[in-house]
Amino acid sequence: MGRTYQTSDFRNGLKVELDNGPYVMVYFQFVKPGKGTAFTRTKLKHMLSGNVIERTYRTGESLAAADIEEQTMQYLYNDGDDYHFMNEETYDQVAIPAKSIEGEANFLVENDKVDVLYYKGNPVNITLPNFIESEVVYCEPGVRGNTAQGATKPATLACGATVNVPLFIDQGETLKIDTRTKEYVSRVQK
Amino acid sequence: MNPQRLRQRAAITAAIRRWFDAHGYLEVHTPTLVDCPALEEHLEPVQVGHQFLHTSPEFAMKRVLAAGLCRIYQIVPCFREEEEGDHHAREFSMLEWYRAGAGTPEIMEEVESLIAAAARAIGVEPPHFVRQTVDELRKSAGLPETVDEVEWFRGWITHVEPHLSRPTIVYNYPLWQAAMATERNGHADRFEVYLSGIEIANCFAEEGDHAVLRQRFNASKDYRRSAKKTPHPTDEKLLSSTPFMPRSAGIALGLDRLVMALTGETDIAQVQIR
Repeated sequence: MGRTYQTSDFRNGLKVELDNGPYVMVYFQFVKPGKGTAFTRTKLKHMLSGNVIERTYRTGESLAAADIEEQTMQYLYNDGDDYHFMNEETYDQVAIPAKSIEGEANFLVENDKVDVLYYKGNPVNITLPNFIESEVVYCEPGVRGNTAQGATKPATLACGATVNVPLFIDQGETLKIDTRTKEYVSRVQK
Repeated sequence: MNPQRLRQRAAITAAIRRWFDAHGYLEVHTPTLVDCPALEEHLEPVQVGHQFLHTSPEFAMKRVLAAGLCRIYQIVPCFREEEEGDHHAREFSMLEWYRAGAGTPEIMEEVESLIAAAARAIGVEPPHFVRQTVDELRKSAGLPETVDEVEWFRGWITHVEPHLSRPTIVYNYPLWQAAMATERNGHADRFEVYLSGIEIANCFAEEGDHAVLRQRFNASKDYRRSAKKTPHPTDEKLLSSTPFMPRSAGIALGLDRLVMALTGETDIAQVQIR
């Protein structure tokens, strides 16, 4: 038996194992009905699919810890099917299938450091750095002096993502992007 | 602690006292240190020497009713061990009132009127309550009927309570959750008040039959013994006063939670001084 967590151990970020995989706790609240025993109400997010479920545990019930490990690795390249990463200390390399990281792959910049998530010893997902920098490889020509609030156009970045950017941005410029919101932050002076 | 919340709390408390004055209620002060802390088997009292801090002023206030005062209220600190969270504190303020000759319908009207007065005192629109039975809510959440206590509460807490977004008065509880409420048409004649999805009050049409109450004290003791917990002593002073207690109803309202619900506060620590 691996380690288990009691309701008193519950906190955000706890990684637990349910019937169908690993979940991370994103919300917990102590609830004690006047006429009943004490419970903790939780919201748990599936670490691979992102689905959020609601579960309620009675005080004294326990949850198994998920067999989850994170390693910081460098993104190397992709070959179309797989994305390849390297541990910078051991030089070990791992490959993650493109379909496992569909939402993140377009924001991978070569040589950036990402957290690779291992579930039961297998690499299954990644956590992007909060910010990336990538060059605009295509957008409509910039409109000088146009700083109108809110007006945007799509721009395609070297990393593969398409994001909405202000009208004054030109092809060839390097942009800072917030990977959590997938939104433009600023221009980067090179 | 949030100074703005403390100002709102003071305004709400003042409005509550004005409301009770206007409705002919007498403020009473019952002892905080008691011999018999509770009936409910899941309440854990704070022990002080061979006595306890009360978990609610319920037993003593009923003896005041039996002594002949017909409309009484108090705002008093109460203590419950093992209760800590966004909506729970070991020490919290309870507002309780009891009215001779009343049943649950009269107290429903009163609690709505009182909460409206409290809301107006801080410039908030008074909530409009809907009234729903436990069974209606259980069925619309797709929960099966069960007498398994843990599964009943797990379903309620997961699938009903968080979705009570409208101000709601919930009534007709299962008999096994009667506590000190009397029976009516096969249900416990009690109701709870939900505001912003938080349970803020619980009302009983008071059980006046001391034999029934003694049975419930004994059942609670059996439960606690089987759960390897110290049984709550039977309140003999209460039981010997019940023959003199008029038909009545009473309600306990968590003042900290009322302040939270009316001000939109999500953390009980912000409406208390910690």
